[in-house]
Amino acid sequence: MDQFLAETETTIARWHGVAAPNEPGRRMAADLVNTIAAFEALRGTLKFEDEPASFEAALHDTRETA
Amino acid sequence: MATLADLTLVEAAQAVRDGEATSRDLLDACWERMEAVNPTLNATIWTDRAGAEQAAAASDAARDTPAWLGPLHGVPLAHKDMYYQAGKRCTCGSRLRKDFVPAYTATAITRLAAAGAYSFAGLNMAEFAQNPTGHNREFGDCHNPWNPPYITGGSSSGSGAAVAARFVYAALGSDTGGSIRLPASACGVTGLKPTQTRVSRYGAMPLSFTLDNVGPLTRTARDCARVMSLIAGRDQLDPTSSHLPVPDYEGALDGDVSGMRIGIPTNYFFDAADPAVTAAIEQAAEVLTARGASVTRLSLPVMDAVSAYGGIISRVEAATIHAEWMRHRSQDYAQHLSGRMYPGYAIPAPYYVESLSRRGPVLRAFAAEVFAQVDVLATPTIRTALPTLAETDIDNGPPGTEVRFLAVSANTRPFNYLGLPAISIPCGFDANGLPIGLQLAGRPFAEARLLRMADAYQRDTDWHARRPPVLEAAADNPGIILE
Repeated sequence: MDQFLAETETTIARWHGVAAPNEPGRRMAADLVNTIAAFEALRGTLKFEDEPASFEAALHDTRETA
Repeated sequence: MATLADLTLVEAAQAVRDGEATSRDLLDACWERMEAVNPTLNATIWTDRAGAEQAAAASDAARDTPAWLGPLHGVPLAHKDMYYQAGKRCTCGSRLRKDFVPAYTATAITRLAAAGAYSFAGLNMAEFAQNPTGHNREFGDCHNPWNPPYITGGSSSGSGAAVAARFVYAALGSDTGGSIRLPASACGVTGLKPTQTRVSRYGAMPLSFTLDNVGPLTRTARDCARVMSLIAGRDQLDPTSSHLPVPDYEGALDGDVSGMRIGIPTNYFFDAADPAVTAAIEQAAEVLTARGASVTRLSLPVMDAVSAYGGIISRVEAATIHAEWMRHRSQDYAQHLSGRMYPGYAIPAPYYVESLSRRGPVLRAFAAEVFAQVDVLATPTIRTALPTLAETDIDNGPPGTEVRFLAVSANTRPFNYLGLPAISIPCGFDANGLPIGLQLAGRPFAEARLLRMADAYQRDTDWHARRPPVLEAAADNPGIILE
């Protein structure tokens, strides 16, 4: 966990020039391991797309019509 | 003791129309109530008495003339302090925008003004609309009218508290992960997050371009319908706004819910729920079944995807919007705010794009399975007993406080990712005397159905009409007494 957090802080600093603002920020950055786990669990559900699916079209198609 | 400030929005507008009260009478009543309760609540960031008196005078001069404006003529309102009004200070609840004066006006404000309403205050809110509790380091925490040490819910904290304490007839909030519904639930008022694209966001401070919504907090479903009828609809200034016509929301409130199918989820929404909250939702369902609705228990699909993807978008977008200040002025944010944004910079772009591109397919999968079985989902708005401000104070609390803080919005966030409309209405009280909210969610653009069901429920219950204890403090200063 310490290594993950250290690497995350380094990456953020390198790519964005943003330093960890405080301890809650570090704790929440360390919690990104759970975000990764959640995405790992979804692997296999995303198929090759010729063009991105439209959320607006989905809203329209599933709307209340009565 | 009831005063003009205790009228609902619809009643207040009618009182002006019928000549039973002037706009100035309404303003005076709201102002006196505000002065009585606000030292306890801290629900405002700024007030504008002189401007409001001018607006009231203009409204009263225009009554019974062709200059009559419309269904909110002469009604004083106040909104979350993130709706731009040209030339007026708009703090967004933050030190970083303490002296910000926008050059243009939000479309929702323009539409309410076109209907005759005017604003007399900017209401307290979470910094940059980014917490679910009502903490605010710069302008002070907002306090719950039912029990002041407890959270108001956020981020539209002042909107919830001011409407509940009856010194504002209706207030705009914004909802990116629950920020209308949470304060509506915690403060015992009615709050609607519309379908994504239903209401223009032009001139509303952005938190997350993809998930932000504009909507009302009011005392009743009927008031909510009145405001929605005015602010919904296509706006050329917001290219993302829907072209679909706006129904007559208020006209649809006939109390008839017969044949409507209510779904109570068996997964996610009641996980580790407080027993009092669960009981209140079950009792609310019984009220609606007595009116002819039916109840089905069902397991909701794709909730893992909704949770995973929904958690990415607002974090990345907020981090992006705030990047320059995060680089150079991060200490000007509250710790809980800069701390929440910080991980957003480490989320890979493919995660963000995947979350966006899967939103449509996930909505289709959810809608196909759920809305084949039911018309409306019924859940708690907040599944746990309401916490105190101290219990959720990340800035001053021990490690782990963020878990309690983030749990507050667990039941509201899914409907932001799905883009579905959802309303919160009061349906009971917990052991600490704090309101419990019933969340009703429906298909895209089902606002009329949700409002009809909420209104039907409020015809048979009085949770929405109960007065918070903070009003006892106003009893010695009653203002204008109703006959």
